[in-house]
Amino acid sequence: MFDVAIIGGGVVGCAVARELSRYHLRTVLIERYAEVGFGTTKTNSGIIHAGQQTAPGTLKGLLEVRGNAMFDELQRELGFGFRRCGELVVASSEEEIATLHRMKSDGEAKGVRGLVMWDREKLKREEPNLSSHLVAALFAPTAGVINPYEFAFALVKCAEQNGVELRVGSPVTSIAKGPDGFVIEAGAETLKAHFVLNAAGVHADQVAAMVGAADFSIHPRRGEEYLLDKRLEGIVQRLIFPVPTPASKGILIIPTFDGTIMVGPTAQDQEDRFDVPTTFEGSEAVFSSVRRICPAIDPRATIAEFAGLRAVSNTGDFIIGQSAVPGFFNVAGIQSPGLTASPAIATHVVDLLGRSGLSLVERADFNPEVAPPFRFAQQSNDARQALIATDPLFGKLVCRCELVTEAEVNQAIDHGACTLDGVKFRTRAGMGRCQGGFCTTRVMQILADRLKVPFHEVTKRGGDSWIVRPMPAPGPAPDDQTEEG
Amino acid sequence: MTTRRVQNYVCTSCPIGCPLQLVHEGDEIVEIEGQECNRGAKYAKQEFVDPRRTFATTVPIEGALYARLPVKLSAPIPKHLMMAAMGEIRKLSARAPVALGQVMLRDVAGVAGVDVVASRTIPRTLCAPDPRAESRA
Amino acid sequence: MFGRMSKSYDVVVVGGGPAGLAAALGALESGISRVLIVEREPEAGGILRQCIHSGFGLHHFKEELTGPEYAERFITKVIDRDIDVVPQSYVTGLAVDSEGTRLVRVLSERGGLSTIECRSVVLAMGCRERTRGAVRIPGSRPSGICTAGLAQKLVNLDGYLPGERAVILGSGDIGLIMARRLTLEGCKVEGVFELMPYSNGLTRNVVQCLSDFDIPLHLSTTVAMIHGRDRLEAVTVAPVDEAGQPILEKGWDVPCDTLLLSIGLIPENELSLNLGIELDVVTGGPVVTSTMATSLPGVFACGNVLHVHDLVDFVTEEALRAGRFAGEYARHIRRPQDTISLVPGQNVRYCLPHTLSPDRTHTIYLRTKKKLQPCLLKVGDLLERKLRFVVPAEMIHLTIKPELLERFYEDRLQIDLIPLTE
Repeated sequence: MFDVAIIGGGVVGCAVARELSRYHLRTVLIERYAEVGFGTTKTNSGIIHAGQQTAPGTLKGLLEVRGNAMFDELQRELGFGFRRCGELVVASSEEEIATLHRMKSDGEAKGVRGLVMWDREKLKREEPNLSSHLVAALFAPTAGVINPYEFAFALVKCAEQNGVELRVGSPVTSIAKGPDGFVIEAGAETLKAHFVLNAAGVHADQVAAMVGAADFSIHPRRGEEYLLDKRLEGIVQRLIFPVPTPASKGILIIPTFDGTIMVGPTAQDQEDRFDVPTTFEGSEAVFSSVRRICPAIDPRATIAEFAGLRAVSNTGDFIIGQSAVPGFFNVAGIQSPGLTASPAIATHVVDLLGRSGLSLVERADFNPEVAPPFRFAQQSNDARQALIATDPLFGKLVCRCELVTEAEVNQAIDHGACTLDGVKFRTRAGMGRCQGGFCTTRVMQILADRLKVPFHEVTKRGGDSWIVRPMPAPGPAPDDQTEEG
Repeated sequence: MTTRRVQNYVCTSCPIGCPLQLVHEGDEIVEIEGQECNRGAKYAKQEFVDPRRTFATTVPIEGALYARLPVKLSAPIPKHLMMAAMGEIRKLSARAPVALGQVMLRDVAGVAGVDVVASRTIPRTLCAPDPRAESRA
Repeated sequence: MFGRMSKSYDVVVVGGGPAGLAAALGALESGISRVLIVEREPEAGGILRQCIHSGFGLHHFKEELTGPEYAERFITKVIDRDIDVVPQSYVTGLAVDSEGTRLVRVLSERGGLSTIECRSVVLAMGCRERTRGAVRIPGSRPSGICTAGLAQKLVNLDGYLPGERAVILGSGDIGLIMARRLTLEGCKVEGVFELMPYSNGLTRNVVQCLSDFDIPLHLSTTVAMIHGRDRLEAVTVAPVDEAGQPILEKGWDVPCDTLLLSIGLIPENELSLNLGIELDVVTGGPVVTSTMATSLPGVFACGNVLHVHDLVDFVTEEALRAGRFAGEYARHIRRPQDTISLVPGQNVRYCLPHTLSPDRTHTIYLRTKKKLQPCLLKVGDLLERKLRFVVPAEMIHLTIKPELLERFYEDRLQIDLIPLTE
């Protein structure tokens, strides 16, 4: 019997799991995919918002500003990629300048620090590659960029180190409320818990419906992102936003933590909760929009494109709290600025649980820190030499584009990576220019050896995402004309 | 009485790739058209009378750095026997070391004089450690 | 010796593929003796190891060899001549000390990070394949999409199939050869789709890899959309308009579990970029003089890292030369500076080397921008040659003798390909 079962290993579920691990509790985190962070989190734009863009008086507005302030300490404790690069909302007309002023006063009212208006000259000096037709900008120094998947991986690693149990590849198929708690069917397992937290992202209304607690609905809104070649590094110093419209924050230029430029996202409502295609229209929308702001951004510099789904709720705000079913809590509708708000959501949820009867006794041995993964590429030559002395596999390069070594891949696997994508998002192997052309078979071999599975059972991201088939063993020839239709 | 038929080929003698038309009555070639040089006629005739092909594939190998040993045919075989030859090669396997040109199978697909041969050396020094090999040495 | 690495060499060659092997041998020919090849794979031979089909060596050896056979001839020579080859090792940087000694930083599992001294360096890192991102095919991101070269490695070295039912995008030779290879292994190849109105591969490969196996070749057609959640389930293919954009309403779906991309190669110049070597935006490789010297003194380049070749024979020829000049450089021999810029003119996509010197014979490589049949190759007013047929996929090479340049006093020599009417 668990005290708390969290359904959904996205960044919200992971943050709540770590927060709960501060207390003497038995907690289980249940994830449908092969690894945590493989849903919306993996495809997030990776922005820690300053907070001036969200309407005042909303729960998301409150938790956004609170969450933003928590990231420095979290970064120190967990060592994920995060940098406060600041953001600029750029105006291209006098009318838009008025919007910037309104955003500034709204932001200040919410406690957003350091907001400054920049005139054309200041903007030109600080971001010389932006279009000369831009007339002004609102600068928010507290905004930053983050590797969202690294954040999720570090959160869950910390939670596990403090006793949280993790179930991956375990889609929840039913939840029943019994006399002494909830009975959850997850994958091949039956789990029991006193409290259930529904952090199931785009599936949250379906999960809530399993216990009759669906008084809201979730509508997936797809966003496409385009990742550009590293040669564009430095083209912008800060996050660049157009003036937002009611529907969306617009299409952004994101100087990612890893030094690449990412542009996007689009905003397209859809019914399907799994399909995440990129489209011709999306690409057109992204590049025509960003090129109005930064003409030097060239679609031909694209090295990868992907899409993700936002979990948009019918209420327009975050849905956080106990449902009509006592003990079943929703943490739903967490769209932008959900990543920014996630640590504040976690403390808020734990507070609500405590007030609903969950006994919160702090553990004396709670360890808030996890060692960040060693990144060979980021080390000085002396430090590299020292790393090789501790493990010769730091001398064995696996990914040549991103300079990832076998020791780092091993470490990623030991920390839970069991798929090619898992290794990629933990180590960057396969994220560079050649997009895995060189390292794919190397990483597959290491996964196979370390997880003791046959090479051909290694998948891209679990499920039916197989990569190769074994060749038939020597024997009689198969019929030549087997395949038809 | 046999009727005239046309067989089309694309000449592979050079990159131009002339489209060739070979007119024949039964087994008898009447004329060949479309070639820009006289290699075209020769090519079309060969394709009509006795089209031959060669190909390369691999066989599984033990005790080597990689799982497969590349092999090739020592000479072209009739085109229609390619799949039959593949079927025979699929039954083969090898063990390191292997010498370049080592014959893996003689008279493949029943074609006298055409062998399946290794197209590289797998030297001992490149072999993965193999305890059985150690004990034999 | 294979696996040996000393502290100091005359010439260090980065890469042990066909270019690196020939460059090392070329360096010896110049009269030096201490040469090291740094190779990232466990053995030398590069991409030839997985190119198990025949068709190599017709120019260089006057006989038809498979890729492994071609490589082995050079590997044998390299080992016989006591050239050191260090496998599973990467060059991560290069510096020059105050005495002009080049310091090559090598990373390997066995040796950790080490610094090798030498007098000159030959870059022979080869090229990599363009990926899905480079052609920007919209749709989902399932497994089952891989470059033709990766598929070739899986099948020919590792013994795995990339899938069971394949579509191939791009009709370059690797794509055509993989179509046959997969068919021989029992996979169903649904078709090869080529954006251009003509195949980018050799006619012989179109006939022997596709026609022989009834695999359709769709010209002026591309893969416009990718479908499938976990694993690839189908692709939408569509004819393209004159701008190369797919006409979706004329498209159709092809069920498949594998999409092989054979859409071009890019010189692998990460190291060159880190070293600040000047690159040519058209070739993607370094700008080189007639001695194959890059903009960084004592650093030479050859093979696919310089420009993508279609025949390994020319790689060998170019690399032998680069190696010889690198060896000379190590012996402190300096050639007079080039005085003539070689520039691409009408219909010429690029020509190499970028500069010439009037004092010796030059081999020039060029590529046409489009198919011309026939055309006149003009080298300034010095040389004219009628060519029956040129296509972008086939490199043109010609020799310019010093006699020709004797009375040429200009600083610019333009190469044109002028279409002729028959």
